[in-house]
Amino acid sequence: MDLLAGAPVKASFIERSIEGLSKGLSFAALADASAHAQTGLLQRVDPRVKVAGVFTLIVAVAAAHSLLAIAAVLLLALTLAIASRVPAASLAKWVWMPVLLFSGAIALPAVFLTPGDRFPGLPVTAQGLRAASFLLLRAETAVSLSSLLVLTTRWAHLLKALRVLRLPVVFVVILGMTYRYLFLMLQTALDMFESRESRTVGVLDPADRRRLASATVGVLLSKSYQLSSEVHLAMQSRGFRGEVYLLDEFTTRGADWVWLTVFLAVAAAAAWVGR
Amino acid sequence: MHIPDGYLSPSTCAALYAGSTPFWYASLNKMKRRLNTQAVPLLSVFAAFSFVIMMFNLPLPGGTTGHAVGMGITAIVLGPWGSILAISVALAIQAIFFGDGGITAIGANCFNMAIAGSLVAYAVYRVIAGGSAIESSRRVAAAAVAGYCAINVSALLAAIEFGIQPSLFHDASGAPLYAPYPLHIALPAMMIGHLTIAGFAEAIVSGGVVAYLQRAEPALLKPTAPGAALPGESAGWAGTKPLWIALAVLLVLTPLGILAAGAAWGEWMPADFSSPAARQQMTAASSNQAPPAQAPAGLQKLSAIWTAPMPRYAPSVLKSPQFGYLLSAMAGAGLIVLAFLAGAWIFSRVRR
Amino acid sequence: MFRVENVVFHYNTVTALDGVSLEIAEGKRSVLLGANGSGKSTLLRMLDGLCFPESGKISFRGDAIDQASLEHDEFAHTFRRRVGLVFQNPDVQLFNPTVLDEIAFGPLQMRWPKEEILRRVEAAMATLEIAHLKDRPPHRLSGGEKKRVAIASVLVLDPEVLLLDEPTAALDPRSQSQIIDLLIGWGGGKKTVITATHDLGLVEDIADDCFLMQQGKLVAHAAPAAILKDEAMLRAANLIHEHRHAHPSLGMHTHPHTHRT
Repeated sequence: MDLLAGAPVKASFIERSIEGLSKGLSFAALADASAHAQTGLLQRVDPRVKVAGVFTLIVAVAAAHSLLAIAAVLLLALTLAIASRVPAASLAKWVWMPVLLFSGAIALPAVFLTPGDRFPGLPVTAQGLRAASFLLLRAETAVSLSSLLVLTTRWAHLLKALRVLRLPVVFVVILGMTYRYLFLMLQTALDMFESRESRTVGVLDPADRRRLASATVGVLLSKSYQLSSEVHLAMQSRGFRGEVYLLDEFTTRGADWVWLTVFLAVAAAAAWVGR
Repeated sequence: MHIPDGYLSPSTCAALYAGSTPFWYASLNKMKRRLNTQAVPLLSVFAAFSFVIMMFNLPLPGGTTGHAVGMGITAIVLGPWGSILAISVALAIQAIFFGDGGITAIGANCFNMAIAGSLVAYAVYRVIAGGSAIESSRRVAAAAVAGYCAINVSALLAAIEFGIQPSLFHDASGAPLYAPYPLHIALPAMMIGHLTIAGFAEAIVSGGVVAYLQRAEPALLKPTAPGAALPGESAGWAGTKPLWIALAVLLVLTPLGILAAGAAWGEWMPADFSSPAARQQMTAASSNQAPPAQAPAGLQKLSAIWTAPMPRYAPSVLKSPQFGYLLSAMAGAGLIVLAFLAGAWIFSRVRR
Repeated sequence: MFRVENVVFHYNTVTALDGVSLEIAEGKRSVLLGANGSGKSTLLRMLDGLCFPESGKISFRGDAIDQASLEHDEFAHTFRRRVGLVFQNPDVQLFNPTVLDEIAFGPLQMRWPKEEILRRVEAAMATLEIAHLKDRPPHRLSGGEKKRVAIASVLVLDPEVLLLDEPTAALDPRSQSQIIDLLIGWGGGKKTVITATHDLGLVEDIADDCFLMQQGKLVAHAAPAAILKDEAMLRAANLIHEHRHAHPSLGMHTHPHTHRT
């Protein structure tokens, strides 16, 4: 799901930047809409259970030495996606294709380069084929799992649920505030690029293009400074003294314990089968 | 350079999480002590800034475009500790929310880009910029070199992490379980692209933004230029001692870590630069820059220089050509850094 | 309630406040009226203890408001609860992941029990009619919604003094009048409200008392009606300017013109 890849070669750097920035915004919008779908299966599970379960599964996928075990987890992720009403088309567009293009390009030469038993008449080795499959399958499975988490959990809940991974509160708060201002910054950058583009007539020479890019980053940087000191004042005004506190509103139901057991059992099985 | 899930073994990931944790902890403490209540909003907004910078497409010489990580400019404006945290948070959000970089690899990506990148960038910037005035062109050159070195050190670390996977983690038949390319392929494949394209993207952002800030907001450059007010004084070394120590520790630990892992080197044959498949892979991995048709003779010689004087009782690991490649690549990167330092120094003298 | 004595403040080399002295009465709605750069926002921030004068003094009910007093935990705690500031730019004030977290931020800092926090948050959301936005992230709110959430996040602490920086800036007319109605009705009209603005219409609507500021100095303190009548003084303070335009019946003419934002 490399959002940074895949822009047309001919486009100007401004257009490509605009494309990259708006892709980020539209994935966030998709995730938000999908996480709010009340009819989905995983949307109703306690976020802490999902975080613990998905992260354990990802680790199990990384640890498993069996292609079959990893493929089984991928199948499970796919089933859960369908049950949670995550559209397969958006999953393919945002998750599977970008990973296939990126990791596929990296895995392909391994088919030929890895030393081992050659197939008769082919420059391909059995070991190479296996190595490439491991790389691609693991990358696809892990990213499917993590996007499943993001697409079925509201960001605010996901954030607080990260506390189950023993992340300090201050990191959770910083992550949340970063995500919040990310949208402001993405929008600011987008507006800046769009207004530059509308004022740019003809082709800029390379040095000017670089100056333009640097100035854009520079403006964004000084805006960041102003923003952070204003936010600091706004926090102080409401009593912030350096310590951060969170409102914890999760309730675990019986069904959530069942889910947790299922996640952990599958992860353990995958790791054991593929040990 | 965002390493996805599945490229590194769980033990490599765990080691890099463990390696990153003390840096995160120390940085957070330093930031909280220095900035008190301002640390949280400052780090959050700058993490968002780094995230957005990573999405920019930058015009590069030769008509191509590329992405920068932004560790150069972040380290120059926030200092190394703030930069470590801001970029780490940006990388974590990219991994968790946007699937860019793996969740198991957050430790690795943060170690390479946020931690090593920020420390290298800051140290190089401080040393080259020295006590020059805020508006001096030497600072622009220093920032550009800092960005260039930082991204290349990050790429080198990633290449090493990739390159040690196949010999450490493979199944009974010898099929690699994680990143499939050994050091002699991983190193050139990563470094060619970064020494050319990505390095320049980082250099342009760092240098260009410093040039912009000199005109528009010089105050933002002041905190990391304590000696700037006193022309002629060389503040470069004194203030950066802890950073150089941290950097030295990093460099020392890298080969030691490889040794400790008890790598079974030598299973792979040396790089076949003339094989079309290998060349195709390197081309893909280095953003369509064709690699040389021959293995660089210099690399081979350097590796021989390294392996030759090793005493006979040294473990065979140390004598293997792969290890030689690794160390000579590190030495090569060091030489490039030195050459840049010298070049920037001469450049600044000539301009004055 | 607030006493400001001969306060001076600079931003780098620009003078923001140049020897301002004034006194703000408890239970009144005061307006700090001035054009951009008149120093009214800086003064408002000083009243909230967010920045401190280079020389001069500020006190709240007789207690000095300065760096030292606000480093004292107990005093800071009480002061922050009693005095609330609504910033001009709601993006600055909405830094939490959701509306609920945003409104709960202040109460959480006060370390109130969870049940009380939730009760007060519900009440504040009801007052501002934003209960339906509870789980929304701030970047998915309209300008008017953001403003209401920002006001709720301050009112939830039930402050005794409400400081507002250009409360109606960048809002559509309907949201503007909603905010004004709310401010008039808040606390039964008995609480202290201090508004910094350049909007003359707002002075008419909500002020009992008006301080006119110009280039870091206090130039007049009078009842709103008296200040609004003095065209020459408003023109000097850059709050009105001659405006030439056509009326179908009268032909071309000029008259003083104000800007509502």
